[in-house]
Amino acid sequence: MNIKEKNDKKEAFLSPDQITFHQKEKDQNNTAPGISKKKVTTPNNQKTDKTLEIVPVITKSVLQNNEKQLAEIQILKELLKAKEQLLINHVNAINTTNASIEFDLEGNILSVNEIFLAIMGYSEIDLLGKHHSVFVDPSYSKSNAYKLFWSSLKKGIYQKDEFIRVAKNGKMIWLLGSYTPILDTNGKPYKILKIATDITLAKTQFLQLAVQAQEKEKRASELVIANKELAFQNVEKEKRAAELVVANKELKFQNEQKEQRAKELIAANKELAIQSKEKEKRAAELIIANKKLAAENILKQKRKVEKEKRAAELIVTNRELAYQEKRTKELTLANDELKKAQEELEAFSYSVSHDLRAPIRAINGYTQILIEDHIDAIDDDGKNVLNGIIKNSNKMGVLIDDLLAFSKLGRKQVSAVNINMKTLVTGVISDLTIEKDENTPLFEIDELAPANGDPSLIKQVWINLISNAIKYSKYKSETRIKITSTSKNDKIIYSIKDWGAGFEMEYYDKLFGVFQRLHSQDEFSGTGIGLAIVQKIVNRHHGTVWAESKLDAGAKFYFSLPDIKH
Amino acid sequence: MNYDDIEILFAEDSMEDATLTIRALNKSGFTNKLLHVKDGAEALDFMYCKGIYSERNPKSHPKLFLLDLKMPKMSGIQVLEKIKSDAEFKSIPVVILTSSQEDPDIAKCYSLGANSYIVKPVDSNNFFNAIKEMGMYWMILSQPAL
Repeated sequence: MNIKEKNDKKEAFLSPDQITFHQKEKDQNNTAPGISKKKVTTPNNQKTDKTLEIVPVITKSVLQNNEKQLAEIQILKELLKAKEQLLINHVNAINTTNASIEFDLEGNILSVNEIFLAIMGYSEIDLLGKHHSVFVDPSYSKSNAYKLFWSSLKKGIYQKDEFIRVAKNGKMIWLLGSYTPILDTNGKPYKILKIATDITLAKTQFLQLAVQAQEKEKRASELVIANKELAFQNVEKEKRAAELVVANKELKFQNEQKEQRAKELIAANKELAIQSKEKEKRAAELIIANKKLAAENILKQKRKVEKEKRAAELIVTNRELAYQEKRTKELTLANDELKKAQEELEAFSYSVSHDLRAPIRAINGYTQILIEDHIDAIDDDGKNVLNGIIKNSNKMGVLIDDLLAFSKLGRKQVSAVNINMKTLVTGVISDLTIEKDENTPLFEIDELAPANGDPSLIKQVWINLISNAIKYSKYKSETRIKITSTSKNDKIIYSIKDWGAGFEMEYYDKLFGVFQRLHSQDEFSGTGIGLAIVQKIVNRHHGTVWAESKLDAGAKFYFSLPDIKH
Repeated sequence: MNYDDIEILFAEDSMEDATLTIRALNKSGFTNKLLHVKDGAEALDFMYCKGIYSERNPKSHPKLFLLDLKMPKMSGIQVLEKIKSDAEFKSIPVVILTSSQEDPDIAKCYSLGANSYIVKPVDSNNFFNAIKEMGMYWMILSQPAL
């Protein structure tokens, strides 16, 4: 039920008491005197005692009476004025705090006070002569309830309630007030006075509260329903859960049954498999047994063959062992022989030096005797021959000495000490004997890195190399010799360069051979042992010797020795 | 032959070396009485007055031994050892002659008390000079005190 309907209802059904009450008021109003010419609003319960009608009289007595009457009138007038003032005050008092508006019996607006205008948002001009229906919703103004409302007022029925009205701006205004029919002197309603108070704020709040309360109630009831629904659902759920538990149990049981059956089937299958395997096994065993028998037969034969083979192998092994034994013996023998050979070689070296030298010495010596003591008996040709014998026997002596020195190198213990190479080379140079036909060499010696080696042997290397450089430069206008060293990996590489005769690289492989010579004896004397000794010494130091040359453009010899850091 | 007053006892199996050595000494002006023996055994016979030398005066000692190392029967080193271990002879200077610098006994000779050694050179001139120098040195050193 909406507010408007409630409004209509309230206005439509007035209680019998109210009606009775209005009747009484009507009765009271009937007794009070009314002023027909002047519209004065008086409260219903206000009792006005007298209403005077003034009628002119022209006689003397009448005049005297008139004066008397005039005086009385004057008094009455003043009395009236006073009463009127009271009334106005009364009305003003009401108007000060209440909204008021007057309608004729049809509902047209007769007057309106400032408060009412303020509440409803109208100006006086807007409203005067307009019908009451401007304040109500059109749906209400057209309704029977509205007509009944006004017809009740016309009949003089008093209306008091909370009314919902529409302001100029369309806003709903709640008014607490009363529609009071004002009666004329005859006791008949001639206009309707409405006095009201704006209760919109309180009402709105109240309604809101009511709505909220209603909402709450609604929600509470909805909650109750929802709770009931939930409870029902829970019960359902529990029921279903219980059903599920039962179903699960059933399923589990069925699964277990299935599993058991599966197990039984597996077991049965296994049993079958085992049985068939057993059968297969037995069959296989039979086959194996057959095979074994066959194999044993083969094996027997094989063993026989193997025995024969082993016997043969044993024979071979025995032979091998015998051979190895023989080899060992041979090796031992070879070793012994080697030792013996070495001893023999040493003996041979000694013998060479001792026994070969003796006859040569004798030849040389006897020839010398011929030259010294019997020279007169020998002609010039004979003298030349004797000189040839001396020269060659001397050379034979040198060859023997060189060969001996070379073979000695192979046996000599090589010591390894830190050699100050610069000092060593300088020493070798200062001890040099320059032959008559040789140039005095010009040396250019770099800072030479030290090396590990046997000083006496390395000294021999330098003697041989420097001597060679001098010897093979003797046909040049000057003899220049350059000596340098470089470090490479764990080796020191020494080099000696000359600008002498050089050699052809074609014969390089003969360069370091024993008694190998690349030049004629007439050109350059020598036995051909010098570079062989150099190579042997360097090799015994785990080094290498090599050379590069171009015929007639000099030669450069290199040899490497262990770095002192290694 | 009179074996007394022998100044140089020269043991050498090689006739050629002996001839050349003696010639070199003679040519160098050494006129000292020299006895050449063919091996070590004969050298010791002489020293101890044995064999063919039994008749000689045992009090007469040579002033210098020239001893070749490699000899038949008894090597020079054995002779050296014997002489140097005998108090009567050990003051007599011994010069070892050898054909080779490589002779392994050279070091042993020194340890046994040899006073010097000479490697006989092939070159006859060098050989002559070596013998001459040796002779001069030792014979002059071994002059008896006047």
